[in-house]
Order: sequence, then structure tokens, then C-alpha cells
Amino acid sequence: MTSITAYESGASQLLMGNEAIARGALEAGLGFASAYPGNPSSEILGSLAEVASEMDIYVEWSVNEKVALEAAAAASFAGVRAIVAMKQNGLNVASDFLMNLNLTGTVGGLVLVVCDDPSGLSSTNEQDSRPAAKWAELPLLEPADSQEAKEMTKWAFELSEEIKDVCLIRSVTRVSHARGDVRLGELVPPNREARFAPTMLGQFTPLLVPIKHNFLLQKVNKAREIFESSPFNWYTGPEKPELLIVTCGSSWYYSLEAVKTLGLESSVGILKLGTTWPLPEKLVQQHLARTDKVLVVEEVDPFLEGNLKELVGDTFSALGPLTFYGKRSGHLPSFGELDPDRVMEAISSLLGRERVAVEPDYAKKAQALTGGLVQARMIGFCAGCPHRATLWSVKNALKLDGRGGFVTGDIGCYTLGLGPTGFFQLKTVQAMGSGTGLASGFGKLDKLGFDQPVLTVCGDSTFFHATIPALINGVYNQSNFTLIILDNSATAMTGFQPHPGTGASALGEPAPTVDIEALCGSLGVRVEVTDPFDLQDTTQKLLDLIQDDGGVRVLISRRKCALVRAKEEKPAYKVWVDSEKCRGENCGCARLCTRIFQCPGLVWDDETHTAKIDEVICSGCGVCADICPASAIIREAA
Amino acid sequence: MALEVKGCRELQREVLARDLCTLCGACVGMCPYLVAYRGRVVALDECDLTQGRCYVFCPRTSLDLDLLSQTVFGVPYAADELGTVQEIVMTRARDEGIRSKAQFGGTVTALTSFALDQGLIDSAVLTASDANILPSGTLAISTTQVRNCAGSNFVAAPTLAAFNREAEGDIQRIGVVATPCQALALAKMRASPLENRNNIDKLKLVIGLFCTWALRYEELARFLADKVPLRQIVKFDIPPPPANLLQVFTNSGRTDIPLDDVRPFVRPTCDVCIDMTAEFADISVGSAEGVEGWNTLIIRSDVGKELVEAARAKGVIETTPLPEQNIAHLKEASLLKKQRGLKKIIETTGSDEDLLYLKLASEAVKGLLS
Repeated sequence: MTSITAYESGASQLLMGNEAIARGALEAGLGFASAYPGNPSSEILGSLAEVASEMDIYVEWSVNEKVALEAAAAASFAGVRAIVAMKQNGLNVASDFLMNLNLTGTVGGLVLVVCDDPSGLSSTNEQDSRPAAKWAELPLLEPADSQEAKEMTKWAFELSEEIKDVCLIRSVTRVSHARGDVRLGELVPPNREARFAPTMLGQFTPLLVPIKHNFLLQKVNKAREIFESSPFNWYTGPEKPELLIVTCGSSWYYSLEAVKTLGLESSVGILKLGTTWPLPEKLVQQHLARTDKVLVVEEVDPFLEGNLKELVGDTFSALGPLTFYGKRSGHLPSFGELDPDRVMEAISSLLGRERVAVEPDYAKKAQALTGGLVQARMIGFCAGCPHRATLWSVKNALKLDGRGGFVTGDIGCYTLGLGPTGFFQLKTVQAMGSGTGLASGFGKLDKLGFDQPVLTVCGDSTFFHATIPALINGVYNQSNFTLIILDNSATAMTGFQPHPGTGASALGEPAPTVDIEALCGSLGVRVEVTDPFDLQDTTQKLLDLIQDDGGVRVLISRRKCALVRAKEEKPAYKVWVDSEKCRGENCGCARLCTRIFQCPGLVWDDETHTAKIDEVICSGCGVCADICPASAIIREAA
Repeated sequence: MALEVKGCRELQREVLARDLCTLCGACVGMCPYLVAYRGRVVALDECDLTQGRCYVFCPRTSLDLDLLSQTVFGVPYAADELGTVQEIVMTRARDEGIRSKAQFGGTVTALTSFALDQGLIDSAVLTASDANILPSGTLAISTTQVRNCAGSNFVAAPTLAAFNREAEGDIQRIGVVATPCQALALAKMRASPLENRNNIDKLKLVIGLFCTWALRYEELARFLADKVPLRQIVKFDIPPPPANLLQVFTNSGRTDIPLDDVRPFVRPTCDVCIDMTAEFADISVGSAEGVEGWNTLIIRSDVGKELVEAARAKGVIETTPLPEQNIAHLKEASLLKKQRGLKKIIETTGSDEDLLYLKLASEAVKGLLS
């Protein structure tokens, strides 16, 4: 991938939305960047880390989003321009600090980018982060494409310094991960000297909260004034449209496509807003006055819709009767991603036009075109994934123990353990670290008759992020559970970012390694380490731990991520199936490996009715040889 | 006449979920799904086959006693107190060393060793306990190994898992020392209509043990651990009535536990059992009540008869007629077990037409209950 500094000002470069955000920050003279990885936000910091040395900026992967925001705020307090990036769930983690930072304000421009994930394509929820801007009373920008993402980011630093507070940018997956041509501007080095020098008594403290709150309201009003003339808001369409669409972000593109496909350019107007909080009231009123029918198109919640109605409520006498359509009217869904089809449906129904639907056999045609190239396979763990092996042993240990033990889950690749390739072992999944928090609570229910063994899992990165306080809570409150730390030495799900346990910094340079084992040991709990590929030993250790006499126990299941191994090591084994020995569908096997274990490296041969290894996919971990009841899966040292 | 053929799901539903499992081990050791663990059969994953050896071999599914009797003895099921009987005698091992370690007369140990020595079998599947008194099936190919397994511990053991496992290997002639439910399972293996014969033709000898009940491991171990360190236990015994005791021997002495204290650990499936004397074994061995140091031995099959006669001829065991009153008492005890079992079954199902796992003609049921 080409670096985001590869081209000079004036050139055009094909950039992912997240790269464009990073480029925009560099064009604004960025000095400091921090983030915790989380899709769809991860590439922002990733692409900044790649050019950190060259641009002489500081870039770090922080242990969590709150710390990331705090670190970036420190840079801002010292006068440096800073950016912090996170996914929607991360904003929740950071919000405790954010809800105080807004009051104390900032010095150097501080831009908080939050990338939402409508439909939860790589998330546990599809939370709309925009209400956070209203809640925190901070300005919010919503880019629609890569070019705008760059321009808005660059400008957000100026706005932040103008109002002396944080500026939020909200992206969505289809902006962050889409690529588009971006006309580049000048790269500006961070030529500011960092110095902490408060200009007021208690400037960065909660001294005089109501006064600071009043300041904040003034700041947001100032932002509103500035937004009135923002180039990120514009109208296209007839002077007096039959229907006015008010939209923002990627929904603007869906609206454009819908209107064009329906051939309604002369009767439907589109007001595209880039500054969605606070709303530029005058500008919005001026466009609302064009019509009496307004359709609001946005993802996911009716945030803009509600704010527009609020605004109309305040200025009802000036505007006259207006009818709003959108999510509240049921013309658009309040869940999931939008697409041009859904918008077309809403417009057609509102204007009584016949809907131009996609060809009825579109999906079939698309499938026919790609079907031969893509193997039908459900979402699941990779070939050779250590999580599959660990959860296999967890499943067996819990079954053998037989007391109704269960696993509370957490956030990472291993979240897939809630599905078939993790043998449905994860029974709860909520926020980062909440598996251990839940375990800590379950483990205290014994007085209420609870006698089920409690297990919880977290990854190594999640351990640092939010598990540690929950673990300490369990120790302090003498709870009773077993924490399995799935240490694959990577933040694998988000793209192999380093973390405090990997011994590398965001720039790939050596960094101190935090020893998970020693850290847990220092809490005075029993700590065992296992190699998940040794199924027998892992199952035995799990049984020992589960059946131990109460307290908090930790099992570190340590094996590098299969994808990291593929880059760093040769496969350990050559694996093949002796089809003479394979019992296949017969009594004594019933396709255990392809039906239950379900490593994608194992495939079922419909002709021979035996299992076979897909050599392209097999990672050579050799674990399947240990589950085959007929010893038909042979592993030989590679 | 045929055994019902179903799969692992039905086994779980009809037997495991209803706590009818005897832990004989017949369903274990053949596949990756069913395993025995500390006194339980556990299904690790769902097998989706509709026909499985596990279901067919289970002594608590579709137990067609007529079919089994025809298969094993070539005659219909007797439906009397003791099943097929050629002869009943009293026996004991001549070797005092065997007698001192074994329960009662040491007949089982002596005959098993003899069968190995004579080449009737080349290995014996027996039951041995680990350091924590957890019993499991084990393979003996020498007299020493057989002697190490002597004695009873009254805990149900998945012994047949070892048969299933070992029969897959090179061993050709296998003998099994089996409890009544294990002997039933072995008979079901012989009568199985499945294509997979489970190497049952390698089974050459079944020495059955009298049994009135077996205990659950987990509960017993937890109970005993408070009284005696499990690792120090060397032997158990239940002396003849009226003692009503479970004697636990360690190297440093004996602890007597009232039998009533351990009765709650009896497996519920023992309450629906109607076979006290291992009716589908080649020979069945138990205590000889009132005659210390001797066994009661029921010879059932020709194989059993030949073995006993050869052992007697070679001076391995000695035999003497079992007193008539002992025979009467044995029949009475066995019939009582059948009646209790049948009544419990009928009480459970609420109908004498539905006998849970038993396939027995209603005249036979009436006959046993009258």
C-alpha cells in the first residue's frame, strides 16, 4: 500500500477514508496521535504510524480508548495538535474523560474521530455515536467520502482551536473503508513546541463547573455560527422541490443515486449537511422553507431527524406547516445500514411514483459470477487458529466436569466462539473486559444457590484494555472463576496491531513487554500456562482449575495467531488423511473433523466419503490429528 | 425379533438423561463422542447418526431377553430365577495366595488366570481402580496382572470401554470379567444387527459376577474422603448379613461404614435391574452365603462348563456341591431382585405394558411377579 505521504500537494491519490483522515491531520500540522484499534477505525492510526518517523510526529497504540483520549488531550494541553481515533464502542470507554474534557477545553487542536459500524459488520453493536456530540455539547462533522474526510479533518483542527474544545468527526464503515480519489494539500510539519502553561487558575480542573459549562455552551454557539457558512453544507435541486431530502455522510450518496435512478432531479432537492451538530439553524431554515415535505436520510438513529424537528419546533411560526418523513414515519429503518434501494423505496412511496427496483434476479446473477471463485464457508476461526483449539478443550472440560459450567465471552477474534467453530462455548458477549466482570459477579452467587463453574475468556489485548480491573475486582471480592487469557500475541481481529504484551511499539520499534503471567501472579492468584495445541494437557489443566477450591484462577493459553505464524514461521507439520483409515460417516466417527471441529483446512470429499486436507488452507498446526478417532489424520514433521 | 436400532441422541434421551446408565462402558471407546469420566458417561459432541453401536449395545435399551438367550445359549429365555443353568456348584481357588487377596473363594481370579494359561483367551478385560479408587477397564495378559485386579470395590466401572478399545487391536481371543449389566451388553453386541460387528467374535469367555447394586463414584469418593484418605484404601468388603457394613481396608487398619450410609449412592439404574446373577455369562460367580472362603458358581454355557472342568482337573479350583438350602436362598434373592426391578419399572412407566428398556412377554412378567 502506498504511504499517505507518497504524493505532494496538488496530486490525486486513491485513499481509503481512514487514510484520508490521517492525511488531513498531517496537512493540519499534527503532532500527536493515539488510538486503540477497532474496526472500522484502525487504519487511521496505522497509516499515521507508518509515516511517524518521516513526519516527526508521535504515534501510539494506547491500551484503551480512554487512555488514548487522555494522552491526546495532554498533547493538546501542551499546545500540540492531536488526533485520537476509535470505533463506536471505544467512544463509550473514552466518554468518562470526554465528559470532563469538554468542560476544561483544549489548547492545541484536538480532533476525536469515531468510526461507526452500521449493521455491526465488525462490531457487537451498531451504536450511533452522534448523540455523544450533543450530550458532550461538542461540534460534530460527518464526511461523505474520502476527499471530504481529508478536508474536514484538516479543518477540524482549526475549528477546535477556534472554540478551544474538542471537535468530533463521525465516519461510518462505508466512508472509512471505501476508497476514493483525494486531491492532496500541503503536508505541514508539527512545528510547535510542547509546553504546558495554563492561562487560568484551575483551567484544566473542575473548578467552577457551572461557569465552565456556560463557557461550553458559548463554544457550541460559536461553532453553530461558524457552521452557517461551512463549505461542507450545500443544496442541489430545484428552487421549490416537491420533496426535500436532508442527509449526511454516506447516506448522501445513497440519496443522490436514488434520486438519479428515479429520474427525479427536477422534483427532489437534496440538502447535504457536513456539520450535523450543532445544526446551522439559519441555513437549515432557509432550505426547509423550500418545501412542505422533508425526508431525512441518515444512519442509524434518527439523530438529524430529531434535531431538525427540534429546530422547527423552535421556529415554527417562521416556517409554516412541514411534514417530516424518515425513520419515525417508518419510511426508513432505524436499524441496519441504508442503501440506495431503501432510499428509492422511501422516495417512491412518498411521491407516489413507481419504484424502480433492482433486477429481480440480481442476487442470483451476482452469485453466478462469483460463486465459482468463492468457497461457501460460514464465518469462523481461521485454519490453525489457537482459539479453536482452546475452545475445543474448554468444551470437553466443561462437558466432563458436568456441573453446568459456562464461559462468559469478550471482544476479539474469539468472540466467534459464540458460533459453531467455537462450539458455541461463549454464552455472553458484551463490552471489552465485561466477560471477566460478569464472571466476577457470577462467582459471587454461591450464597444464592449458584453452583455452576464459571469460566471467562479474554484476548491478550483485551486483557490490557479492560480486563485487569475486573480481574482485580474478582480477587479483592474473593469471587470464584477461571479466567482464560487467549494469548495469541496479537490484536488479531483488527489487523495485528502491537500491544503492551508484544514487545513492539506502534512504529514497530522495540518496547517493554508487560508480562501477563507475572502481572496475574502478583495478584496472588493461581496462574497456569498451557499450549492450546496440546489438547490433552489443556483439558486436564482446565479440569484442575475448574475443580480447584474457589478463588480466582488464571490459565494463559499461549500460541501465536495462525496468521502471524504464517508470516513468521514455516508450518510445523505436513498433514494428510489416510483415506483407508478414515471412518468418514460411519459409526465411530460421523465426520467429527469436518462436521464438529470444522477447521477450514479439513474438507469433506463427497466422492470418496472421507475427509481430506486442503493443502492451500491448512496451516500445518497438526491439532486435528489429535481429534481423529481413527488416527487417520497423519502429521509429519514438515 | 431384533434389537431396536437408534442413535446416540436417543441413547442420551432414553438412558443418560433418565439416569438409567449402568456405566457398563459398552457405548464408550468406539467413537470420539461418548467418554466415561468419573462415574458418568459424557457426550462430548452431538453425533448425528441415526444408527449407532452405542444405542444397540446399551443394556438399558431394547433388551430382548429371548433374542439374547437364543444368541448366547441357543434356547429361549427361561424367565425364571437364575436364567440358563447347566450346573451350580461351590468352588474356591486352590491357591491360598489368590484366596487371601480375593473376595470369597478367589474363583474368578483362578479361572481367569487359568483361561489365560490354557490359551482359551490371550487377554482378559478386568476392572482395576486407580489411586483414587476410580475403577476402569484394564487389560491383563498375565497371571500377575489378573491377581492385581482381584477384589471388589462396589463402584460401577466402564469396563467394556476397554473391551471395545482392545478388540480393535491385534488381540484375538478376549475374556471379560463382567457384572450382569456388562454381560448383557456383551450379549447385545453378539446379537447386534449392525454391519459393524465391533470385533465381538474375539469374545471367547465371559465370567459374570453376582451383583445387587453398584455405587456412584463421585458421591462415594466425596463421602469416603472425609473418613479415609482415598489413596490409602487397598480393599473393600461387604461381609455377609446381618453385618450391614461396608468395610474399607487400608494398610493401617479397617474402617467400618454402615451400609445404609452408602446406599444413597447406589445408581438408580440398579433399582430397575432384574439380573443379579449375570445370566448371560458363560459362568457366573458370587459368594457362598454362610460358607466363608467359598464361591457359588453357576455354569451356564458349554464354554463355561469346559473351563470349569479343565480347571478342576488341573487342580486350579476345587468344587463341591452347593447345599440345597443355599440354592433355594440364591433363587429367592435373585427372584426378589427381579420383582423389585419389575415393580420399580412398572411404577416408573405406570404400565405393565411399557417396561422401559425390557422386552419381556407379559406372561413372563406375570410369572416373575406371582
